[in-house]
Amino acid sequence: MTVLQENPITAFDREAIRAFYDAYFDALDEGRLEEWPDFFAAECRYRIISRENFEAGQGLCIMQADSKGMLTDRVRAILKTQVYAPRYYRRFYSGLRVVKASGKEWDVRQNVLIVQTLINKPSEILGCGVGHDRLVSNESGQLKFVDRTLILDTEMIRNSVIYPA
Amino acid sequence: MNNIAKRWPGAGVTEIPYWVYTDKDVYESELDRIWYGDHWLYAGLEAEVPQVGSYRTTTLGERQVIVVRSAQDQISVLENRCRHRGVQICQARSGKLTGITCPYHQWSYALDGTLQGVPFRRGIKGKGGMSRDFSPTDHGLLRLKVEVVNGMIWASFSDRTPPFREYIGDRLWSSYERIVSGRRLRVVGYNRQFIPANWKLLIENIRDPYHGALLHVFLPTFGLFRPDQASEMRMDETGRHGSLMSLPARDPGAAGHGEDITRDIAVDASLQLADKRLIEAVKELKGDETLGSCCVFPSVILLQQINALQVRHIIPKGPDGCELVWTHFGFEEDDEAMRQRRVRHGNLFGPAGLVSVDDSEVLAMAQRGFKAAEEGGAAIVQMGTGGRETGNEGHMATESAIRGLYQYYREVMGL
Repeated sequence: MTVLQENPITAFDREAIRAFYDAYFDALDEGRLEEWPDFFAAECRYRIISRENFEAGQGLCIMQADSKGMLTDRVRAILKTQVYAPRYYRRFYSGLRVVKASGKEWDVRQNVLIVQTLINKPSEILGCGVGHDRLVSNESGQLKFVDRTLILDTEMIRNSVIYPA
Repeated sequence: MNNIAKRWPGAGVTEIPYWVYTDKDVYESELDRIWYGDHWLYAGLEAEVPQVGSYRTTTLGERQVIVVRSAQDQISVLENRCRHRGVQICQARSGKLTGITCPYHQWSYALDGTLQGVPFRRGIKGKGGMSRDFSPTDHGLLRLKVEVVNGMIWASFSDRTPPFREYIGDRLWSSYERIVSGRRLRVVGYNRQFIPANWKLLIENIRDPYHGALLHVFLPTFGLFRPDQASEMRMDETGRHGSLMSLPARDPGAAGHGEDITRDIAVDASLQLADKRLIEAVKELKGDETLGSCCVFPSVILLQQINALQVRHIIPKGPDGCELVWTHFGFEEDDEAMRQRRVRHGNLFGPAGLVSVDDSEVLAMAQRGFKAAEEGGAAIVQMGTGGRETGNEGHMATESAIRGLYQYYREVMGL
């Protein structure tokens, strides 16, 4: 691959991006859902979409938001209205790669594995996929998602996807 | 005769024995009498196989089929199993074919399933080959009975299944035709989930208006639904098909085609959505119903809620679970705004659905309850119309359509 040579990024940027993802997955794994929308810019898009729909150019998602407000609505539904058996999610990301860098904008990909543990059950894989994301650095120098698209290879979901990833 | 050792408790349907959801023999008998019996099963949308040779594979009951446009005006539904050695021929989910060829010994079939070629049928240099009385015409792919009705493809393993229009009956036809009127459909996308609950629980769930505003806290919280809203639970004459219609909480009939109906939907909300576009809707179908469903027994729930239109296709996987495949669709002439609206409304449904997660989770909890119960346990189904009748009702405090379903079920299962 020559992508990085064509779009050089500094070690400083790379470290900042890694730290951003570490903080993002830490907040989610620890269940600090109310912090989740703050990882996004005001104008943003969030999607968990099946590979089948993504590759066919079909819009339907598993989880979707067009704005930070919709992320907040999702959090309120998870915490206040949805009915589901208790569970933990732990998200493992690897192979973080910056595929495009221009000014204060980075296109980033990473593989993601989500492991789910239900009460009294062994841990199991909920899904695996790849994130196709766009990050921006805002006026105060903080990184935010303008687009977070998690494309799931997983063909058959084990009943429910409750939490984001 | 069936092989079921169990006896139904009493004469009525106000108690449903847990074993109908857990017993292996009951399940096997359901496959024979219901799924492979005189019933229409959902095989896909016409829009999914647009050109001659376009195909999709899908599962009807437990059997996999190839749904293929075999001629301009003909769709064939063929069992995906070579007649030679039983190999599942097509492995992809969809694609385009000129013929159907088994990879093992290259037996080849036409798009309508006719056996066309058997390599070395006459042997090699006069030696070997098939016996002279082998008849290719008797060895085509198993071909199901097919009907395409307003863009939906229906297939049946039985030749005795009556025409679809008669099968669904007059009362349910209006619920069906309201959603798929014949306008050309366009797929918005798919979602697939395995639900660890017996398949019948899914069709009971959509015929159960009692749970609507109680389980689905999201709906009354954000004002999408109230238990006192006018609604109608319809059944066909046999009780097997069911349809729930729900009218807006106010001003039915006030909005014209294409007009915003959000204010008719979201009333008395205790919480406001931060981004109302999640439920912003426009009128597009006949009538003012904000929710309209049509459950075509046994395989499908066709449903409209606000501007989300969907087919929920049930694939049974033993007594303890089923797969649910969601096909969301719109119409060919949808503009960009409508396409986005349908995707947004998709948030209410599927494996992460703001509303439907409640169902798939609670049905799994029911299945766990049945499995752990003592012999002789039964679910109580006594809400509405004195608790015993099965008529059509205009309110939510009823389970009459579940009783209607089990009247038919007992009949067809010989229980």
